[in-house]
This record gives sequence, structure tokens and C-alpha cells, in this order.
Amino acid sequence: MNANDELIKTIDLRKHFGSLEVLRGISTSFVKGDVAVIIGPSGSGKSTFLRCLNLLEIPTSGQVIFEGVDITRAGHDLDLHRRKMGMVFQLFNLFPHMSVLDNITLAPIKLRGLTKEAAENRAMELLKRVGLTDKAQVFPSKLSGGQKQRIAIVRALAMQPDVMLFDEPTSALDPEMVGEVLEVMRDLASEGMTMIVVTHEMRFAREVGKRILFMDGGIIAEEGPPEKIFGNPENPRTREFLRKVL
Amino acid sequence: MNFAFLGKYWQFYLVGAKNTVLLAALAVLIGTAIGLFLSLLKLSSKKPLRFIASAYIEFIRGTPLLVQLFIIYYGLQAVGIRFPDIPWIGAILGINFSDFMSGVITLGLNSGAYVAEIFRAGIQAVDKGQMEAARSLGMPHRMAMQHIIIPQAIRNILPALGNEFVVVIKESSIVSIIGIGELMYKADTIRGNTFQPFEPLLVAALLYFLMTYPLSKLLAYIEGRMHSGER
Repeated sequence: MNANDELIKTIDLRKHFGSLEVLRGISTSFVKGDVAVIIGPSGSGKSTFLRCLNLLEIPTSGQVIFEGVDITRAGHDLDLHRRKMGMVFQLFNLFPHMSVLDNITLAPIKLRGLTKEAAENRAMELLKRVGLTDKAQVFPSKLSGGQKQRIAIVRALAMQPDVMLFDEPTSALDPEMVGEVLEVMRDLASEGMTMIVVTHEMRFAREVGKRILFMDGGIIAEEGPPEKIFGNPENPRTREFLRKVL
Repeated sequence: MNFAFLGKYWQFYLVGAKNTVLLAALAVLIGTAIGLFLSLLKLSSKKPLRFIASAYIEFIRGTPLLVQLFIIYYGLQAVGIRFPDIPWIGAILGINFSDFMSGVITLGLNSGAYVAEIFRAGIQAVDKGQMEAARSLGMPHRMAMQHIIIPQAIRNILPALGNEFVVVIKESSIVSIIGIGELMYKADTIRGNTFQPFEPLLVAALLYFLMTYPLSKLLAYIEGRMHSGER
């Protein structure tokens, strides 16, 4: 692994909520092109860890190094870094008062200085990729969950991020809609997008993940390629977890 | 019951009602500006700013409007502050502009405290995932407020703000005490002139009701439409 390829690195990341210690020292790194899937029981700190990477959650201590910059240190523009980190949420969080197209183009126009026309062209291209060009003028409430999440992915991609963070993107979906979202994510991974995914979809983790991180009790209890984690896990806690979910 | 005085005095009521509406509209306008400002202070991450807003809101809500009116009207004069009299506006409206402004300012300052809570509640009612989504795209806090949060909050705020207008119309009657020629003052004048203590008040009450009731109905209608248009 070349140090230049290192996109995100965390050093002894810790997070307390009151007296509850949710993250208990996480040191790991993600390289360009990585597709890291974080699995683990609920309450293990997966989502908190992911949200610490773009500082939606402020870690109690420890560092997040993004593209060589310690973004946990004060005195730099966090917004500039966030523009390069797309995030997809469990509950989509589309802006309900805007059309799909405006949802997608608002940030590129306001933050990247794209003209309305350029932003819309790019948005339509992305919508085509997820098969939703006909929804451009529609408002989010008229979409199904699967469609909302695909739009949310497009909205994040429109900023042309260097990495995409997925926080349980299929957990709020009806079962029949999970597939369409995972398919978009699969395509994204095959195009070489760097992705960090918190999910309960074990099949996706196994098939698409290049690296699996098993979190338990606020630490990374075990990590490795999917064949190893799913085929021959070392940690008894990993084994127990997988026995329950598979 | 004798309503014969109406033939002679109906114009008094008309002018009074007009001034009441004007007074309430200006007060709500000022109250909205103050309220928006206070609510943003109250939602600020800086503790001293939150404290200032809370102190203002609690003090205004915890003291009588009449006392606030006298503090503005007599108190400010006592310390040498006086709203300038602009005679030509006063002439057009048939009022003493300086006194009128005392009333507007008092009602506005008072209403601001209530409007602040309306705004704060409206803003906080917006799902917090909205702010997270905006920030995750790299929007600064201010831009996220402007483009994402406030437009959604308006929908929660408008009905309550309209209701505040109704409240201010009613409460504006209290400024009759400092001699502003609004509806209540005019009714009092008519009582004095006609030596009828009762009937002129009934007419005033009816006029207040004729202002507030359609307004409430209109608000309910708008609210209903906003919800049916929920997207």
C-alpha cells in the first residue's frame, strides 16, 4: 500500500455520548478504490464511526486524516473536505421542498460554481445511470423508498466526491426495493469509486466488499478480505455474529 | 338598547378599526423581524447569545403588556427618548404619530418574544437529517439554514404567525390607554359623548370579532391547502 493512495486514516478515534463510550479507539485507513464494508451488531458503533469520518459526529478524541489533512484539528474549512465526501443516509434525507433535479443541482451550483445548465446536464446523466430520468421534475414525496435512495446517491455523486459513505442505505427500504439500490452501489464499486459502507446486507458485503471490518463494542474486532471474514473468521465474536445473521 | 348613536358616530368606528389594523400589522411586522432574530440567537451554538435571547423572551412573556406600554410611553420620555412626531403622517391617519409609534413599538417588542418561540419551534420541527444532508454536501451552516431549513420551517411557522396577528389585533386595544385613536379608544370616546356606557362597547366588540374571525378562517383555509399540497 502506497501512502499516497491513503484517502482516509483514523488514529485512535474515540467517541463518548455522556458516560457511554461508543467508539473505543479506532485506528484504520482506507485507500483509493477501497470498498470497505463495516458490519457488526447494532450498538457496536458502526454508524457513529462512519459519521465521525466527515465529522457529522465530532469525535471525543483521536484524529481523522483525510487526503493528508487532519480535519479534526481546528482552523481549516471543514466544508471544503465534506464536499469531497459524499454521504448517503438510512432515511434518504432528500430535501422535500425541492424537485429531484433541484435536490441534485443545488450543491454543485452553490458550492462548485457550476452553471445551472452544466449542473443539470450532469444531473440528467447521473439520473440516466440510475434509470430515473423521468423523475427529474418530481418531488421526493412522489417517489418510492428505493427511488429516493437512488436519488440520494445521485445527489451525493453530483459533487464528484473522492469517497462515498453509506450509512445503512437499505435498512429503511421495503425488501423488494433493496435490490435496486444495491445494484447502483455495485456499479459504483465496479467503476472504482472509493466506498465505505455500513450495512446489514451480508450478501452485498461478501460479493462487493474488498475488505470487511467487523465492529463490536466500539472497536474493530476483526478485519480482512470477505473470503476470510465470511469463510474462516478468527475472532469468536465474529463467528457468533455471522452465525446469527447468515 | 339604543344604537341610534351609530348614525352620528359610525365614522369614528371606521377610523378606529383602520388604525387598529394598521397598528397590529406594523407590530407584527416588527415582531416578526425581532422574532426571527431572537430565534436565530436562541438556536445559536454560543451560550451568551442564547442567554440574551432567553432573557428577553422570558422577561417579555413574564411581565404585563400594560406595564411594558407604560415603560415605553412614559419611561423613554423620562430618559429623554421620544419618537419623532411626523405631522403629515399623523394628519393622514388622524393620529399623533409619536404616540402611535410608542404603541407600535411596544406591541412589536412584545410580539417579538412570542414570534421568536414560533420560529424556534418551527425551525426545530424540521427533521435534523435535513441539516445533516446539507452539511454532508459541504454547505456552510448559514447556507443550509437559508436554502434547506428555513423554507421548510416557514410551512410550520405561517399558521402560527397568522394566529399571532389575530392575538395582536385583540391586544392592541390596550394602547387606547395612552390615547391612540384605535378602535377601543374611539369606542370610549363615543361612550363619553353619548353618555351610553354599554352599547358602544358592543359595537366595538363586534368589529373586533369581524376582523379576527374571517382572519382565523382564512388561516385555517391556507393551512389546509398547505397540507394538501404536502410533498
